[in-house]
Parts: sequence; structure tokens; C-alpha cells
Amino acid sequence: MLKPSERGFFVGYFKKVPADVRRLMIGFIVFFIAGMASASVLLSINTDSPGAGRYVDELRGDRLIGTMETSPYPILRVPGTSLRPPRAVMLAASGKFGVDDRALPLAGKAARVGGVFVKRGDLEMLLVGGGDDLTAADPQATSLPTPSPSENLGRWRLTGEICDGKCAAGAMKPGTGLAHKACANLCIDGGVPPVFVSTAPVDGHLYLLLASRDGGPMPASLLDKTGLAIILDGMVERRDDLLIFKVDRIADGEGV
Amino acid sequence: MSASYKPVIWNRTKIIYDGVLLAGIVIYILIFLNLGPMLSPALRDVDPPIQRMRAFGSLALLMLTIVLAIGPLARIDTRFMPLLYNRRHFGVLTAIIAATHAQYVLGWYFSFSPTPQLTALFTSNTSFTSIAGFPFELFGAFALAVLVVLAVTSHDFWLSFLTPPLWKAIHMSVYFAYAAVILHVALGALLDRRDLVLGFLSFGGLALLCVLHLVAGRRESASDNAASATTPDKPWIVVGDVSEIAEGRAIIGAAPGGERIAVFRVKGGLSAVSNVCSHQNGPLGEGKVVLGFITCPWHGYQYRLEDGCSPPPFRERIRKYRVRLQGSAVLVDPEPLPLGTRLDPVAIPAELRASTAGNLGKA
Repeated sequence: MLKPSERGFFVGYFKKVPADVRRLMIGFIVFFIAGMASASVLLSINTDSPGAGRYVDELRGDRLIGTMETSPYPILRVPGTSLRPPRAVMLAASGKFGVDDRALPLAGKAARVGGVFVKRGDLEMLLVGGGDDLTAADPQATSLPTPSPSENLGRWRLTGEICDGKCAAGAMKPGTGLAHKACANLCIDGGVPPVFVSTAPVDGHLYLLLASRDGGPMPASLLDKTGLAIILDGMVERRDDLLIFKVDRIADGEGV
Repeated sequence: MSASYKPVIWNRTKIIYDGVLLAGIVIYILIFLNLGPMLSPALRDVDPPIQRMRAFGSLALLMLTIVLAIGPLARIDTRFMPLLYNRRHFGVLTAIIAATHAQYVLGWYFSFSPTPQLTALFTSNTSFTSIAGFPFELFGAFALAVLVVLAVTSHDFWLSFLTPPLWKAIHMSVYFAYAAVILHVALGALLDRRDLVLGFLSFGGLALLCVLHLVAGRRESASDNAASATTPDKPWIVVGDVSEIAEGRAIIGAAPGGERIAVFRVKGGLSAVSNVCSHQNGPLGEGKVVLGFITCPWHGYQYRLEDGCSPPPFRERIRKYRVRLQGSAVLVDPEPLPLGTRLDPVAIPAELRASTAGNLGKA
């Protein structure tokens, strides 16, 4: 036999609340509000900083002029000046889009490129706007030196994370990690150059543009490995100030 | 109770309930999005849309944990019953908060892309063979779909349209939604950020819910297993002693098949009815006779003592049982009478009334 307790009986539409129910409910309301407030404070402040990636309007409406390369992804080879050494600038568009369609017709030619940089440490990516932000440079007015050939830095085994270069550089904060994995895949799938965020520097660089073993775009099979800690094997080469990691296999795994 | 279907039949309790609930939600979000960045420089550096998706996501988890705790809490201590009374509003608001979280996720991580948002949600990550990197968003999408279905069908119109057993079965799927939410958080935010507080909220909440459900379930199964004693005069069962029944209250017996039967004592008479409210299976025997009607403790649905029918214009009905006294022992025939059968209360003899009056608690 079950004998229900003799505590106060209350249903929501009653006008009178028994004293024992009232006491407990007042206590619960205080506990609920205080608990919500405390949980909110604890959950909000317990976070890691996404770091110093940021948008930088370096060009201030001006344009960079350089030689367009399209492998593994669109890169503008900007000649050095007396003030700064030559640069290899990765290019992407706004949103989760690359600039392949606009860069391919200019492959190997002089190009004028404008936009806004997104930068984190040694990672730089120029986000190209629409319209005349990416055009062929006037051949009459432009005489560019031939970009220096890639320098082979040898074979490396690197630990780190695959991410799209735009979010990793600070377009999203945080722009790496598992929560960002789907976003990274969409970016890379849309043509944004992928980067490898290394846990240890390679020739002073923590960010390396990812490529396939033959220097083409990153193998699609690596999309399953974005956002994760992973060890990759491959060759590293340098183009101006940019390192390119030509991946040929996942360490202790199969080739890619 | 209502014979017609109105969106919400407001009363003072519901207004206070919703007011406290909304205050808790507003306080949580305001603190997370305003005080949090002031206290934490790290959070200040996080993109505002990501701050919002974290705020609404963690709030949805917290609310779902609380709403699932209400049921067993009310079983363990009836003073928590007022929390159960308006629980569906808690559930609907939980679904809205979860949907807001999803909206921020879709509008940030799955936007600005040539792939449409929903297509991107289901196709951008296909790492189904690994735990780390598994598309945890799909667990969240499943949980949200369940919560939305439950929120949409939470109104009594759907309870009546679908019938209580089917409605109850559908609404038990909230536990699948909760499991999916735990997987969503564990494989997503927890693996990603290794956040101790979020881990405590997820797994501490899970442990708390398990304990509460086990304690409440153990109490219920003990009652189910303790079938009331049979008598030589089969099929009658002994539910208890008349001295144990307080005025306006009931004791509950269990028929050999497990069916629970409540025996109420009112004005010197005994009436036996099914212990299961026809509204949402509430425990009628834990209710009370109010203004002459058996009143369910969950939502206050009422039934007449003599025939188990709700007073007009309401149409709910519960089964009645034959009851008799053998000395002071209360006996019930576990064979239910057809719905609507009229059976007057069995009078308690004057000498028993006098001798048991001192034992009765004031209800």
C-alpha cells in the first residue's frame, strides 16, 4: 500500500498556497535565479582567448601589384622594395569563397589586387573585394621581376591542425578547433586556401599553406581531418615569405 | 481544466511561473553577454555571434536538465508539484532557446558560403567514422527537431487529438533529445574547449538526473511490486486499513496485474477509482477531494466520486472499482467497472468512524 504524504496540497489554479509549499517554492525561486546567474558567470568567463588574429586595412584603398600564381591556390608574388622583402600573399574573397575563377585567367601575369588583410602572427591573407579589386596590371606601366623559384626546405613531419587560412588568421575568433570544423570545410571547399597550424615552428613559421604532394590543392581526403590534432608528413618549400607544406601522407597512416 | 482549447488559460500561478522563468533566462543571457566580457578579456576577444551561440546553447542545456529534473522531484517530494503544473511552458521556452542557439550557429558557421545553410549543415562534415571530428551538429539538429515537435504538440488540443497514451509516448522522446544534447555537447564544445564548467554542467547534470530518476523509479517499482494482499474471497484485495485514510485523501493499492487503485475517504464514505488521471496519467491517489471532486495533483483535473466522470462540460472519465469493508480492512475488487458506472460510496460504520477519527491527519 502506498500512503501519500500529508503535505499541503496545491494545484496551480488554487488561490491559497499551503505554507510548506510556499516556503519550498520561495526557496526554489531564489535558488533558480541565483543558480542561473552563477552558471552564467562561470560558463561565460571560463573561456580561452582566440588570440590576436585581426583584420588589417594595410592597403587603405591602394593596390598590390605582383605576379599571379594559382598553384596550389591563388598567391600574389609581390616584388621586394627597399623597405620590405618580397611577399607571397595568399588570396581569398569575402565570405567562404576563394578567388580561383578570377585568378586563373591571370596565371603567370601581372595583377593588381586590393582588399583587406587578415593577419595572425606569420599568417597573412588578403581578402579581395569585388569589382576592380583583382585585375590585370597595365603591362605598359608594369615591369615586374620574375619571382624567385621555390626553395626546398626538405622533408618534414609536422604536428598541428588543418584549418582554412582565413578563419585561422582571425576572420573568425576562434577560427580553429572542432567547433569550427564544418566552417573550415566549407571555406576550403569554397576555395579559401587551407593552412596547417603547426605546434612547432618550421623555419620561424607556425602557419604553412597546404598543398598536395604534386603542388596542387590540398587533397579532399584531408577534409575529414580538419579541426583535429594530426601529424602529417611531406615536403616543405618556401616562396618568398610563405611556406608551403606539400603533404604526402598522414603519419602512421596511408598516403593522401 | 478547460472544455475548450485556448492558447493559454492564465492564472496567478502560471504568471508567476513564467515570470520567474523569463527572469532567469534574461538574467542568464544578460550576464553571459554583458558581464562576462567585462570580467573576462578572453571572452571579449571571441566573436559576438560565437558568444551568443555559447550563451544560448549552454542555457538550453541547463534548462533541459532542470525540466527533466522536475518530474522525479515531484515524485520524491510533492511540494515540488507546482513546478510540474506549468512544466510545458518550461519545455516550450527550452525549445525556443535551443532554436535561437541553432539560428546563431547556422547564421555564422554555415553562412557566407555557396552551399545553402541546411545543406551545409548535413554535408560539410562527413567524418562519421571517428569520435573526434564526428559531425556533432547532427545530434544538436536531432535534439532540436524533437524539442520543436514536443513544443508544438504540448497543447491540450494535441493531447486530446493524439490520445493520452500516444501523446505521452511521443513526449517521452524528450529523453532521446537529452541524450542527443549530451552527445552534441560532449563531441563538440567539450572536446573542442575542454571546458570544466561545461563538463560539470553536462555530466554533473546527467548524473543528477540519473540519481533522481533512480530514486523516484525505485519508489514507484517498490509500490508496484508490493501488490496488495489477496483475500480468500477472491478476487478482492486488501488495500489497507480505513484508519490510514485521512479525510479527503486516499490510500493506493496495487492489483495483481500492477494496476493501481486509489481509495478515497470523504464524509464517512469510501470510493475506489483508478489511480491514473485520464489527462496525463497523473497519480490521482496523491490528490485530494476538493469541493467534492477527486482532484489530480498534477494539473487539477477533477472527477466525481460516484461515477469517475468529470463534471459537465468536461468529458474526462476514469474507471471505478467496487469497494467494501471487512472489519476495518478496506477491500477492493480489482476488476474495473465500465467507464461511467455509478456507484455510491461505501459508508464507514459509525463505530469505525469514531475509532479512526483520532488517527486521521488534517489534509
